Order: sequence, then structure tokens, then C-alpha cells
Amino acid sequence: MTFKYDFDWPMLLEDPYKEWIIEGVTTTIYLSLLAWVIALTIGIIIGTIRMTRSPWLRFIGTAYVEFFRNIPLLVQLFVWFFVFPLMLPHDWMLSWNRLPHIPFITALLALSLFTAARVAEHIRSGISSIPKGQFDAARSSGLTEVQIYRYVIIPYAFRVMIPTIASEFLTIFKNSALTLTIGVSEITSSAKAIEAWSFHGIEAYSVASVTYMTTTATVVLFMGWLEHRLRIPGLIAKK
Amino acid sequence: MSDPLVDIRDLSLWYEKFKALDNISTSFTAGKCVVICGPSGSGKSSLLRCVNRLEDFQEGDVYFEGQSLRECPNIASLRSNIGMVFQHFELYPHMTILDNITLAPRHAKGKSKADAEAHALTLLERVDIVDQAHKHPAELSGGQQQRAAIARALALEPKLMLFDEPTSALDPEMIVEVLRAMRDLANDGMTMLVVTHEMGFAREVSDEIVFMDEGKIVERKETNDFFSNPHSKRAQDFLDRILMKI
Repeated sequence: MTFKYDFDWPMLLEDPYKEWIIEGVTTTIYLSLLAWVIALTIGIIIGTIRMTRSPWLRFIGTAYVEFFRNIPLLVQLFVWFFVFPLMLPHDWMLSWNRLPHIPFITALLALSLFTAARVAEHIRSGISSIPKGQFDAARSSGLTEVQIYRYVIIPYAFRVMIPTIASEFLTIFKNSALTLTIGVSEITSSAKAIEAWSFHGIEAYSVASVTYMTTTATVVLFMGWLEHRLRIPGLIAKK
Repeated sequence: MSDPLVDIRDLSLWYEKFKALDNISTSFTAGKCVVICGPSGSGKSSLLRCVNRLEDFQEGDVYFEGQSLRECPNIASLRSNIGMVFQHFELYPHMTILDNITLAPRHAKGKSKADAEAHALTLLERVDIVDQAHKHPAELSGGQQQRAAIARALALEPKLMLFDEPTSALDPEMIVEVLRAMRDLANDGMTMLVVTHEMGFAREVSDEIVFMDEGKIVERKETNDFFSNPHSKRAQDFLDRILMKI
């Protein structure tokens, strides 16, 4: 049995493949970063309101988390892409469909909301890990609840949570591959297209794999640096 | 007699079904240092935590300068006039000592950063750790941390200071430096409520002793009188045990 495959790496640098790769890489990075920023913002808000004393806010937070966490991401993508426009009033639906980059916007929405639920859970466990006395100290000094979270609890919890937050970014980045199913031209869909046109599957999917691996490696290094920079002197050991 | 600074009326507090404070009525005058003592579980800390409503008591009320805590529309602003020091210091670990001290003056009292920092430094001078201002709490010894926490409470320019077992988490040689800072504060005329097991401090510094057991105030006396002539059997037993009379 012989291995018969003609490698053609240089073809990746030729058009149209080069164009597709560039578009794929930029879209993947762009989508993941934007989704990450939105997910982090919503996640911090949802995670925090789940820790407040108001039963209504807690209910909203819990409902959000349970809803978005317990439906598979692929299903959520399809729901946002195929079902959501149908639920809009007719003329809204028409203007929605006329928006440019519908797949990208839908993908961004789905990825952010899904990941925000996971971030919210991390934030909640981060906040519960903070000694109760910190709340007592901040309350007794006359800070309001919002100030207590803003200045004491969230900055403290965030430092404890950096490793989890980092791994959540890696997840969002890899999950972005799923958006090819609704027509986003990210790197996996580029690889798929190159393979279909050239029959050079090994080269095509190598590009996608290398993209994911180098980006995640960069993120891991950056988060390591951030963790070191924000470490609390004396409390978290120096590396 | 002038109006009391703190007036406690018919106060009861439950944790679930456990009655931690049982119908307490008492008051504290400005300028006095009062030590609250008693066996563990007697409700000392709970009583202290009701004075700035860290505990949501179910019955009765506490009045601070005549203002009802139960009906206080802005409890945060009321709390910013009461300093509190905790057993485990509760400094914010991610901030420098200076930031710990200036946080509430800046954000609860609206002081400028420069004013708050200048004041913080004089307070650190007063508790003798001005050289630690730019360090983080975990880089300080326990005694230094507790003195920083005292400075943080004083930064509110409080009318009342609450101490909740401030030396119970400290090694013996560090207890002294914290007690010294507290003694200086009392000598300067600060109104203080101190929950402590340090009977030496109580005898030397305090004006009055409140002795509690099972959620009630069993006895309240002037300090010398309490030590030489405790009225109740429970207070006598407590003193015998704590002063190691075997």
C-alpha cells in the first residue's frame, strides 16, 4: 500500500486561495474578539445581578443563564438565523433581511449571548469565593452596593478568575468555527472551500489548524502576562 | 446628661430560629470607651453589628444621633460616620494600603484624591506605619494590617468606632501594638465600642464594661467596679475563667 498525495503548499499563496485565507483569518479573529468583548460585558452584568439581594434581578439572571447555557450553540445559531427573523413584524423582517452581513451579525449575536451565560457563571463563582468580610468592610465604610461591586468585589474577583476567563476566550474562538453553518466566511469555511476547489485537503485544513493554534497560543501567553501584571503582591505567589 | 450617641431600644435579632439578641435596651454616650465582653456565642459581635445595621435586626430599633436605623433612608451615608474594625482586618487585598484608606473618603464622602491621601498619610503616621503606605496588605504583618485597618476606619472621620475582636487573630507580640493604637485613640476622646477578650485592655482603657450572656446584657458597670465587684454569678465565673483563677 502506497501513500499517494501530491503536496502543493505554494498554491496557498496564490489567488483565489490566498484571498480566502486572509478573509477567513480576519473574520475568525474579528468575530471572536467582538463576541468576546460583548460576552464579557453581558456576563459581568448577569453574573453580578445574580449575587444581589433583589429576588427579581436574581430571577432575570438565573433565567438568562439557564436559557442560553442549556441549548446547544449550533441550535442557537440556527434559531437566530432562521427563526428569529420570522418572529419579527413583517416590515421589520424585511429591513432585517436587507442588512448587510446578516450571517456575521447573527453569528456575533449567538456567540456572544451563549458565551455570556458561561462567563456569568464564572463571575458568580468568582464572587462567591470572596470572603464575606470584604462586603462587611465595604458596607461599613458607607459605600453603596454599586460602589462595593465596582471598586472592591469585581476587581478582586476578576483577578481570581483570569485563568477561567482565558479558557473561555479559547472556547469562543474555537466555537466560531460553527458559524460556517450559517454562511460566515471564517477560516474553517475557507479551508472547506479550498479543499473543494483544489482537492488539496491536507494543505487547506493545515491552514485552519495553524490559525487556531497560533491564536490560542498568543492568547495563553497574553493572559499569563496579564495574570502576572495584576497579581496581588504577597497574596498570589510570584512566578 | 446629654443625648446618647447610640440608643438601642428593645432590640432582638434572630439567625433563622436562633435568637442571638434578646430584647436589648441600652445606650452609649459620646466620648466614652465601652468594652463588651462575655462568653462566645453571647451575642457581643451581633450587638456591635446592629449598631451600623450590618445585621438586619427583626425587632426594636437602634438610634444613631437620634436617627432611627430601621427607617434610615440612606444607610450608606449614616454608616460613613461610623468606623469599624474587624477580627480578620478585611483590608482589600488588591489595593495598596493608601488606596484602602482613601477609597471610602473619596467615593462615599466625596473627598478629592489629594485631600484623602494627605489625610491618609497623617493617619498612617498616627498608627506608626507610614512607611507601608504603598505596599499591599498581604505584604504586611498581622499587627500592621490591623493598624492599617484602624487608619482606614479613622479616615471616615467617624463619630463612633466599632471594634469587633480586633486582636483575636493576632500573635501575642502583635496584639500589644494594636492595643496601644486603640488606647491612644481612647485617650484622644474617641467614642469606642470594643468587643474583646483582652481584659487587660478593658481594665486599663475602658470607662465601662457591658457583660453579655445568651443574647442579653447581664451586667453593665463602670470598669473598676466591674472587676472588683462583679454583681452577677455569671460575670464572676467569666472573670475567674478569663483571668485564669483556677
